[in-house]
Amino acid sequence: MTDDRPARLYQAFVSQDPAQAIAVIEKARSAGIAQGQLFDQLFAPAMSLLGGAWADGAIDEYTFTQAAVVAEQITSFVTPPTTAQDTGVTVLLGTMHRDHHAIDKDITAAALKEAGHRVIDLGVDVRPAEFLERADETGARIVIVYAQLIGTAHSVSRVREMFHAGGRDDLVLFVAGGPFSADISLAKQVGANGVVRGAESALKLVAKITAGRGGGT
Amino acid sequence: MPTRKGGPRQPRERVARPDTATPPPRRASTQAAADVAQAKPAQRNQLFPAGASLYPLDTETQSPEDWYGRDPGEDLDELAKARCALVRVFVSWRVIEPQVGQYAEEAIERLAGIIEAARSRKIQTVVCFFADDRHSELTDVTWGKRRDPRNDSYLVQREAALIQKVVGRLRKEAGVFAWQLGNEAFIAGFTSSDELETWVATMREAIREVDPTRPIGLGADAETLFRSNGVDARNALESCEFAVSHVTAAYRAYAAEGPLTSGPSTYLDSFLLRHAHRGRPVLLDDVGTLALDMSAGEEASYLRSVLWGGFINRAGGALVRRLRDMDTERREPYFIDPFETLVGLMDAEGVAKPAYTELNKFVRTVARIDLKAHTLLAERTAVLVPSERYEPLPNLAGLYDPRSCLHAFIATKNAHVPVAVIGEDDGFEEFQVLVVPSVFALADKTWERLGTFVQSGGTLLLSYGGGDAHPASRDLFGVEFLGDGGPREELSCRVAQPDVLGALESFDARFEVPNFALLSGGTATIVATDAQGSPLLTVNQVGQGRAVYIAVPLERAIAQGDPWATPAPIRHLIREVYGAVARAAGCGAPVECSAAEVEVALFQGEADDVVVLLNHSDAKEEAVLTLERRVASISDVRGGTPVAVGSNTFTVGLEPNGASALRLTYA
Amino acid sequence: MSPRSRQVLLAEGLARQGHVAPAVEACYEALRLDESDPLVHVLLSDLFLAGDFYDEAIEAASTAIELDPDCAPAFLSLGLAYDRRGGMWDQSILVWHELAEVAPDLVTAHVQLGEAFAAAAFEEEAIEAWRAALGLNAHEARAMYNLAVAALKKEGMATALPGFRRAGELDPSQDDFFFALAGVYDDGAAAPDPIDVAPDRDSRLGAAFALAFEEDYFSAVDLIRLILDENASDAEALALAGYLYLKQDSVNEAMAVALRALAISTKTPTAVYVLGAAFAKRPGLNRNAARVFGALAKAVPNQAMPHVLLAESLLGLQRFGQAKQAYLRAVELDPTFVRARFGLAAVFLTEGEYARAHHEIRRAAYHDTRRQGLFWRLYDDYAQGRE
Repeated sequence: MTDDRPARLYQAFVSQDPAQAIAVIEKARSAGIAQGQLFDQLFAPAMSLLGGAWADGAIDEYTFTQAAVVAEQITSFVTPPTTAQDTGVTVLLGTMHRDHHAIDKDITAAALKEAGHRVIDLGVDVRPAEFLERADETGARIVIVYAQLIGTAHSVSRVREMFHAGGRDDLVLFVAGGPFSADISLAKQVGANGVVRGAESALKLVAKITAGRGGGT
Repeated sequence: MPTRKGGPRQPRERVARPDTATPPPRRASTQAAADVAQAKPAQRNQLFPAGASLYPLDTETQSPEDWYGRDPGEDLDELAKARCALVRVFVSWRVIEPQVGQYAEEAIERLAGIIEAARSRKIQTVVCFFADDRHSELTDVTWGKRRDPRNDSYLVQREAALIQKVVGRLRKEAGVFAWQLGNEAFIAGFTSSDELETWVATMREAIREVDPTRPIGLGADAETLFRSNGVDARNALESCEFAVSHVTAAYRAYAAEGPLTSGPSTYLDSFLLRHAHRGRPVLLDDVGTLALDMSAGEEASYLRSVLWGGFINRAGGALVRRLRDMDTERREPYFIDPFETLVGLMDAEGVAKPAYTELNKFVRTVARIDLKAHTLLAERTAVLVPSERYEPLPNLAGLYDPRSCLHAFIATKNAHVPVAVIGEDDGFEEFQVLVVPSVFALADKTWERLGTFVQSGGTLLLSYGGGDAHPASRDLFGVEFLGDGGPREELSCRVAQPDVLGALESFDARFEVPNFALLSGGTATIVATDAQGSPLLTVNQVGQGRAVYIAVPLERAIAQGDPWATPAPIRHLIREVYGAVARAAGCGAPVECSAAEVEVALFQGEADDVVVLLNHSDAKEEAVLTLERRVASISDVRGGTPVAVGSNTFTVGLEPNGASALRLTYA
Repeated sequence: MSPRSRQVLLAEGLARQGHVAPAVEACYEALRLDESDPLVHVLLSDLFLAGDFYDEAIEAASTAIELDPDCAPAFLSLGLAYDRRGGMWDQSILVWHELAEVAPDLVTAHVQLGEAFAAAAFEEEAIEAWRAALGLNAHEARAMYNLAVAALKKEGMATALPGFRRAGELDPSQDDFFFALAGVYDDGAAAPDPIDVAPDRDSRLGAAFALAFEEDYFSAVDLIRLILDENASDAEALALAGYLYLKQDSVNEAMAVALRALAISTKTPTAVYVLGAAFAKRPGLNRNAARVFGALAKAVPNQAMPHVLLAESLLGLQRFGQAKQAYLRAVELDPTFVRARFGLAAVFLTEGEYARAHHEIRRAAYHDTRRQGLFWRLYDDYAQGRE
């Protein structure tokens, strides 16, 4: 059976009927087409029909432009979500006490947010106790501590000690920064569960932990 | 200074290429290798001492009078823990002679105490006189009235007296390994070669009157010094027992400005090291990054590359820049070091950085390579640095040539061919292949010598450098030079004779070349042309040898373009040509390697060989190694169970900037 | 002041023609006659700069400034030499400040000043300098790239990416790429008058491309219409129509005709490009754009631009590792590609590789300033002012 939905959407465009266009999309959605597929399966074929109609003169320039305006109006219905859906995972991150390097952390925080995680950025020069306090407060189970200096990298062990003293051995502690990337054993030494080597690495590690625990905070 | 067995200038025998069909029964069984492995592991390599400089001040806020005020025991313990065998300390003239002729005996004893403390930890000391680290004001005697200690006759006399006083006290200290005169910051203040030579002669004489035997070295790298102030230190260095080699910030900016852990940067230290070899041991010194803006990882990776690069390029030892970071005023993001003395192996609080671990790992690994039993394969290929390099402006050769030579060196390394770097006036007799990259002009006498070299069986590989061709080149290369075709924005290659100079491929690449020699045929074989048929590569048989000509200044064009982004076909072309030329001359890669950026060095032994691999890339590499003989097993030189191979070929995975030292036994 | 001597004119002429060695020699000859002429020193500094001999360039430019503190071209050479050499940000900031005072309308001075500030971690001052540059010239792509990098440092890739794309659109290389796909290059000849175009498809299409190249979009559209009236399934004509819509910010129209063109023939690279470029303008369509540009990069693997376009889409998908590979490929194909260099810098920043990122930004500046030929503008103004 041929799918006539693109043709109906096209028809809504040239009829300059956004309500009808939305109705076609909603029908397609309720028929089981996922949000991420609507663009490819419905919108793009309809736009191709529109281009074809303009090319062979079935519609004039004015109609073409007006149809494009309608297409614009309903684009948000067919576009895949720009930000991923809330994963429900809370990630706490901050730069170690006496360390003021922020760029790496800020970029990663933004990437994690973009991926749908709940990100709590404690900023720079964060005392070890604060990581524990905020983890308790937010229910976060993943903590990323940044340190770019050797001295501050070593002192991340105090964060792990603090977690232990607070009875929070369940917290996953990731570390990030030049000293850890250079020397993986340092991460083990400070009691970290892994090393974040940039934004993409953070995304992968968090995804792995989440998958392992079946999601949630 | 101990030297490596079979040092660079010792007469060598030509190495006969083993017949692949019938490998000689030179190697003993794997049992011999196992015996070696079972011996008590060495902690240090006696023939390759490594260590670090111990600077007198830790923080910018200290005054020059605080010279070695802190007990150095802690630092020496750290060096001993890393199995270091060498430390350099700096004499403060200012502190030792606070008033003219009045010596602070306590200060001299403090110095003696450091040397003794080092010795008790099995660390030998290089004592450096008249260094300038711009923090401790070592040469700034308050009574000197701002006169120049390099050429003021009174101050020079006082310097000689200081040397005699200090050497006189320390000569009986078994822990003194060598004396060093000046460092580059100080020596850069000389304004002429004569002035430097006179100063060195005076100071040497002063030492020799008191200590006739210990080696004396001059703390300047001839190449970097010449670049910085135009003073040619080669004669002054000739009079010393050892030389030093290092990269300065200015030289790096000139020769390889770019990321430290990839591309030309990673070859620069070993290029300068090879360049510094002039028949005497060379200490690779001031190893390490130049500024605090590198991450801890980059510092460690870079150190690893340089230490291993030094080891496989015939350094006599290595000294890391400093042990502890200088505690400077914190300025975000980092402090750029104009004095090149800030970055150490540990941070200012004394916490070890990953670079410290690297040094430790390096020392422990090379300790397991017995340089008495294993000899680095002799270099039969040399890159020739032309004498025009020392011409002053407006001659531009001095600016272009070192860069071209560096890229010729890299290309040879990429072809995995063992290579030396020599001067135009040096002897050619040790070599089978001479590479003369993108040269403007050679001396008439050199052309004669090159002619003789080729006639008697050598191979000359020369690339056009612009301008007129020398009359001698016509017969040598068998082509008629019609003029310079000028610059081109694209380089095209069409292969006329496949497999004459390696596996060449035709290409068109966006690659600027400043000149293109227009040639017409003669006796030479045209191996490749440009898109219009103008010869690009030719080979001419002359007497028993061959003369290969590249019609463009290929090495200079690579250097003047973006050496981190040279088009792949160009990289392939130069690597293939260099490799094929050496191969045909019987001195090609002793170990074929699939990864161009992995440097390979073969140390030959009786029972087994050691192959060292150094990854110059900041990405992981899988290096497929192919030897002429069937390898029975490989094992890490540090020990471990040998892995059976049973083939000529095996693969080694290397981490970014990674190094690997493997012991090979043969079937 | 005296007019230029014959020797200076000779050196100048040689330098303008790019004959470096004889020009340097002529400069030294001129200095033998008058070593206090700032013009000669400044010429030398530019010649040394052209050969990447930064220390020599710094010395010559400094001498010129000592001889005449108003010598604007010497400040330019000095600043560029400091920046390209690296590690001299303090000096660099001072020089660009000076130049911005001596030549206040010089956009590059503000851009470079911003980069010097950024390298020394004075981020706010840097942003101010780039905004000043954009105030002078709203089409200054490098200032826009730098602002995108600044946004990345503070707010992450999602905020920065539109900035990179906007900057990329200011950069004429993207349009050049479209025309290169169509096999259209600037041959120096003017596009024909539409009335004179022969009434066959190929002549009309060729003329339409030529008119589009010269940004006469309406005439080009008229010719396309004539082609489509005869054959509505002409994929190449549709692709060009898509490009023309894109240039007028009519993204949906462009998408529609590009999709139609590809429905007719999937192997129309110009249509692939238009579709990808249209997708890239829509937030949320990065996956689609990556698919399209990935296909384009495979179709024309030796062109740098599709790799960059692919990389940008991958950035949007937070696939930084893959984006890095695409950017590296682009830089390998064209080391002078400023957009790729900045993109690569962005990826390095996401990996915490600051030194590498700054290297890429420095190389971008290096190539950007080399192609501008600013020196001669300042030199001529200075020489004429002096006379």
